[in-house]
Amino acid sequence: MNRPSSLKSRLWTGAGVAVLGALLYALSSVFVPGAGAKAEKKTEKRVEKKPEKKKLSGAELYSMHCNRCHPERYPTERTAAQWKTILLHMRVRANLPAEQSQMILKYLQDNSGR
Amino acid sequence: MCCALAVPLPVGTAAAIDDQQFNELKDLVTKLGQKIEKQDLRIEQLEKTHAQDAQVHAQDQKTHEQDQRKIQELQQKLEETQQAVSNVQTAAIAVPVEPLPRVPLDEATVNHNFSILGDAEFQYAKTSGQHGTFLFADFAPIFLYRGGEKVLFEAGFDFGLQNNAPNSPGATTTINLSFAQLDYLMNDYVTLVAGDMVLPLGTYSERTAGWLNKIPDDPLPRDLLPGAGVGAQLRGAVPLGESGKLINYSVWGVNGASSADGTGNADQLDLGGNVGLRSDNAVANLHGKPSGGARVGWFMPFKPHYDLELGLSGQSGEWDNAGQHLWSAGVLDASLHLGSTVEVKGEYIRSCYGSDDHGNVRPEGWWLQASYKLVGLNLDWPVINNLELVNRYDSIHDGLGTRTRRYTLGYIYYFSNTLLFEGGYEFLHSNDPTQKDQLIFQLSYGF
Ligand code: HEC
Repeated sequence: MNRPSSLKSRLWTGAGVAVLGALLYALSSVFVPGAGAKAEKKTEKRVEKKPEKKKLSGAELYSMHCNRCHPERYPTERTAAQWKTILLHMRVRANLPAEQSQMILKYLQDNSGR
Repeated sequence: MCCALAVPLPVGTAAAIDDQQFNELKDLVTKLGQKIEKQDLRIEQLEKTHAQDAQVHAQDQKTHEQDQRKIQELQQKLEETQQAVSNVQTAAIAVPVEPLPRVPLDEATVNHNFSILGDAEFQYAKTSGQHGTFLFADFAPIFLYRGGEKVLFEAGFDFGLQNNAPNSPGATTTINLSFAQLDYLMNDYVTLVAGDMVLPLGTYSERTAGWLNKIPDDPLPRDLLPGAGVGAQLRGAVPLGESGKLINYSVWGVNGASSADGTGNADQLDLGGNVGLRSDNAVANLHGKPSGGARVGWFMPFKPHYDLELGLSGQSGEWDNAGQHLWSAGVLDASLHLGSTVEVKGEYIRSCYGSDDHGNVRPEGWWLQASYKLVGLNLDWPVINNLELVNRYDSIHDGLGTRTRRYTLGYIYYFSNTLLFEGGYEFLHSNDPTQKDQLIFQLSYGF
């Protein structure tokens, strides 16, 4: 008796997933190329002045990520060993790329409360 | 002849010394001569020696003079050096002392580590038409144990105090396990997580803790989603180029959602339920099959403090005991930072589940929160630079006819980066008459 309703909800989920997929595609075409084009224009302008954009430093990555979700926590608040643990926690929680989290860790340890 | 005679005469006179004597004298003279010759020779030798001596002496003299000159030169050099040293010393006193370079880290001392972090909150609330109350005190420690480079065990607890139901005295202390998970970094791009996990279904539950919510209570539509689930997850991030852009992902399988009583009645939907162990310790799959979910996010930083993140996530699985009904949810999340003062974030949530009594139920809701740190105004007033203003709009439709909309106007006063005093007034509109406006304050500390 209830089977059809289950089938129905499965169909609905299928449709939902398709819609989500479409949304994902729409979003990626609306936002990403737009942002990309703007960024390109900016870098073009910058290229005229400065030669090439250098790799982001640990300090820059720290200020890029570490107050996105909460007020920033200062390097001196923890010891080097604690930072290593907390950065692992944050790397997993915030899905940070491996190299970036290692560079942030180095920055925090170098300026840590020991 | 006479002369000849005459000459020998004296000889003849002298001849008073006889021949023998003469010969003796002659011998003597010869010997003396020889002696003198010898003496001369010796003198000559002595003179030669003396001359040599004199030469040596002259050389000595020369060496001595050279030595003397050298000593003088050295003395001069010493004086110059002393002068230089004292110059450097005075210069060093004048320049501020530079810090010593840091000793390199001894990795062995940071190989394993146990840390405790967390947060604590105290809330006061006054609901319209009721007495104000210190609503609760909450202590939420997080235990982190790191083994080496790749393993982290994290567990978060919530110790809370809650007023007992009306007409029963006192309060009850509650202890909740918010999460308890093992993280294993398989490689740069994949991390395995297992246990009781906070779910990245949207971003709100992964990014909450008292000291980081800008408004003390949760957005209404979060009631439509589980915050945590027991299961396993793969997650990670892939950087896109050198500018900091990245794509992050999570894929998981968890026990919830399930049915509280096993039936498929709509009001028995238990989102995070079915932990797998019964209270009598028997392993049991309670009322619902495991469900699967995933999230993909794009993080686009333009420069530090300017970024946009968009995410899309969903979860789906059978929830009732008979396996007749599916529960599914989809979330679109966004978060934008414009400098260190402006933040806008929100989520759009849709869900759908089949039920015995109400057919397909389709709850939905959304929330949007904008905040501004007044330090951006560059005013030189005492309190203002520590203040942040927050607005939130949230809306929920439970799919069964109840609609609630709420607008919250709030503030945060930062005593420090981790000690916050926040407050807000919530204007509520609902067709459920038990829901009312509320004034709420919270002191939060992250440690
Ligand atoms: C995706 C959001 C997010 C990002 C990005 C993030 N954090 Fe966190 N952080 C959290 C959450 C949520 C908590 C609190 C809950 C927890 O620890 O499980 C937290 C807690 C902390 C704590 C512990 C303090 C406490 O009271 O719990 C420290 C320290 C910390 N973060 C440092 C950092 C650093 C350093 C960075 C930069 C790499 C960072 N965070 C980036 C979300 C984030």
